[in-house]
Amino acid sequence: MEFLGQDRREGLGRRVNSRFVLILLILVSSLLLLSSLYSAQASVFQKAREGVIDATAPVLAIFSGPVGYINDVFGNVGDYFNVLEQNKALREENAELRQWMDEALELRRIVSSYEGLQTYQAPPDAQPIDAHVIGEANDAFARSMIVNAGRGKNVEVGQAVVDDNGLVGRIVDTGSRASRVLLLTDIQSRVPVYIDGANVEGLLIGKTRDKPSISITEGSDDIEITPGQRVLTSGAGGVLPRGLPVGVITGQGRNDDILVDLYTNYARTRIVRIINYEFPTVDADGSDEAAIQDETVEAGAPAEG
Amino acid sequence: MGYRAENLLGILKATTPMLLGMIGVIILALPLRLFEGIGPTPIIPLVVVFFWSIYAPDYLPSVSVFFIGILQDLLTGGPLGLWAVVYLVTQFVVMSQRAYFHGREQKVVWLGFALVAGGVSLMVWLVMSLMSGVLLPVRTLLGQMAATVLIYPLFGIAFGQLHHRVLVEG
Repeated sequence: MEFLGQDRREGLGRRVNSRFVLILLILVSSLLLLSSLYSAQASVFQKAREGVIDATAPVLAIFSGPVGYINDVFGNVGDYFNVLEQNKALREENAELRQWMDEALELRRIVSSYEGLQTYQAPPDAQPIDAHVIGEANDAFARSMIVNAGRGKNVEVGQAVVDDNGLVGRIVDTGSRASRVLLLTDIQSRVPVYIDGANVEGLLIGKTRDKPSISITEGSDDIEITPGQRVLTSGAGGVLPRGLPVGVITGQGRNDDILVDLYTNYARTRIVRIINYEFPTVDADGSDEAAIQDETVEAGAPAEG
Repeated sequence: MGYRAENLLGILKATTPMLLGMIGVIILALPLRLFEGIGPTPIIPLVVVFFWSIYAPDYLPSVSVFFIGILQDLLTGGPLGLWAVVYLVTQFVVMSQRAYFHGREQKVVWLGFALVAGGVSLMVWLVMSLMSGVLLPVRTLLGQMAATVLIYPLFGIAFGQLHHRVLVEG
């Protein structure tokens, strides 16, 4: 704390070591930058990030309330001007949804009769955790949000985050009471998806633009992709559950990218749901011992032979 | 007693620029979504670093600048050290040009800030492009820098008043 106690008489004259310290710190932070290039997930950095999220969560929580209120007021002002069109569009959508509801009820009846069959095993239920968005990285390249649920509520790294429209992103850092959600538009975001009706699997890659693009990993050569097709999570890699709605295809950008218009609107995401989904595993609860034995035999067989 | 109070006030004064920088970082992490998410959030810590590096570097030692940058990196989830390097290099460059800026019109200082913001954009873009392996789109970054340059006069006046009336005279 050398800088304490300096008054304006000394104010104009810089200290001798100032430039030396400055250059030293530039070197230190350059080294940090270089090392984070190679080990972004190093436990020290991870700990520091989680600590900062935890420490700032209360501050962010206090301010995000009024900020959200102001946003709502200003958002509503815009809504007053197109209330008629919105009303008309909503009525049409409602009529359409009623038809879907009838169909869904019918399907539910069929599914429940199938579930009555003895051979059927229900997939594990997802346990949603609800959270508020209290922070958002207003950075040109890093796209993430901070939500007010952490390890205390069983949030873990890798879990999917959705809002009422569709997939928002996935958890990358968890503090004890707050977590960071990496949005689909971040350059580091890679989410396995499939295109409904095209039999194509791919990766949704964030490009810091509003619309991420799909890079196809599996599918036949002559794939027909038309704008309007739905994009859903494929569950490949065993991190996100299959079938979460992501967006619709809007067409091709430059470099023949397949662009996806996300269902979720990041400017309005306020409340999210974290999906605590556990993939079905063979030795999940030990009740199915025969299956476990089968697997160990299979695993052991090549080693013996 | 009086001595202690004075001491406390001294500490508060000496750390004000650093606190302002940290508040700027917190603002960067709030879900502000100006104008329905179209308006970019200005990078206030850059204004803080620029201003105090010109007019009173002793109030904002490089250690403080380093911590402001690290806090921003940790809070926005970017690569650790990026904004620390950016702010420290800014301080280095600006401090080397202090003599030129002293006693100049605010317009000239504003132009200087615009140049610095341009340099910072280039640096951030280059580093992020190198790290991600592709040339990233620059539009969002330029929008954010433009917003920062636009608000500079406002914060320049506010910080000027604060510095002269409260930190030095008060």
